[in-house]
Amino acid sequence: MVNKLLKIGLFLILSLVIIGAFIYAPLAKGLGEFTRVLYFHVPMAWITVVAFFIGAVYSILYLKKKEHKYDLYAETANQLGFLFVVLATVTGSIWAKMSWGSFWNWDPRETSIFILMLVYAAYFALRSAVEQADRRASLAAVYDIIAFVTVPFFVFIVPRIYASLHPDPLINTQGKIHMSPKMQLVFFTSLFSYTMVFVWMLIMRIKMIKLKLKLKEMEQ
Amino acid sequence: MQPVYVVLIINLIIWAGIFGFMFNTDKKISSLSVKLERLNRDKNI
Repeated sequence: MVNKLLKIGLFLILSLVIIGAFIYAPLAKGLGEFTRVLYFHVPMAWITVVAFFIGAVYSILYLKKKEHKYDLYAETANQLGFLFVVLATVTGSIWAKMSWGSFWNWDPRETSIFILMLVYAAYFALRSAVEQADRRASLAAVYDIIAFVTVPFFVFIVPRIYASLHPDPLINTQGKIHMSPKMQLVFFTSLFSYTMVFVWMLIMRIKMIKLKLKLKEMEQ
Repeated sequence: MQPVYVVLIINLIIWAGIFGFMFNTDKKISSLSVKLERLNRDKNI
């Protein structure tokens, strides 16, 4: 019952975000109608960081406890992070086409996100290259921790130290948020609700892994 | 193209990605649950 109510609540809040983004929130200077992309594109990038962080935490847990489930949880969190980084890149690329005239400009922001995608693509390549489960889990966990160290650098630092066509980062170099209260309301509601969608997706995946492990245990 | 349609397309891409992933996971969970149930039944027999 509680689960059902949470799902209905999430559906309502996400509907409100979409309506708020199109009707309620005012437009920002210089961005015009494209301001609305902000409420959908930025949460994707935010969830990418959250997902990769959770992946790294599970990898640390695996190395500490050597329980196979943590390796699988780390893999699933990173899969979700990869899905969201692809969504952030695709939506950003469409935005770039409309604002800058081309889908890809090798702007510092685009380049840094592309390198981040390669870093995590290598994580999945590494997993598929090692057959022995324990060895694969250990190698992947170590690689995942090192990969996560690069995330803040590529997502938060590079766009702030190089001149870029990308609109100002949300929290600018002076540490302030340049948004009207109405924009902030829609933006932070959007950030919260998409994060909840991600949590839901992660819970479903973890449920699936638990079922798989139980099945394996019963078959033995 | 009107900017508002671009925002709509971006929205649709995001939701297609999320629903695709959810649909796939849900399908896998259902098939695993059926397998588990069958295995449980076989063990009881």
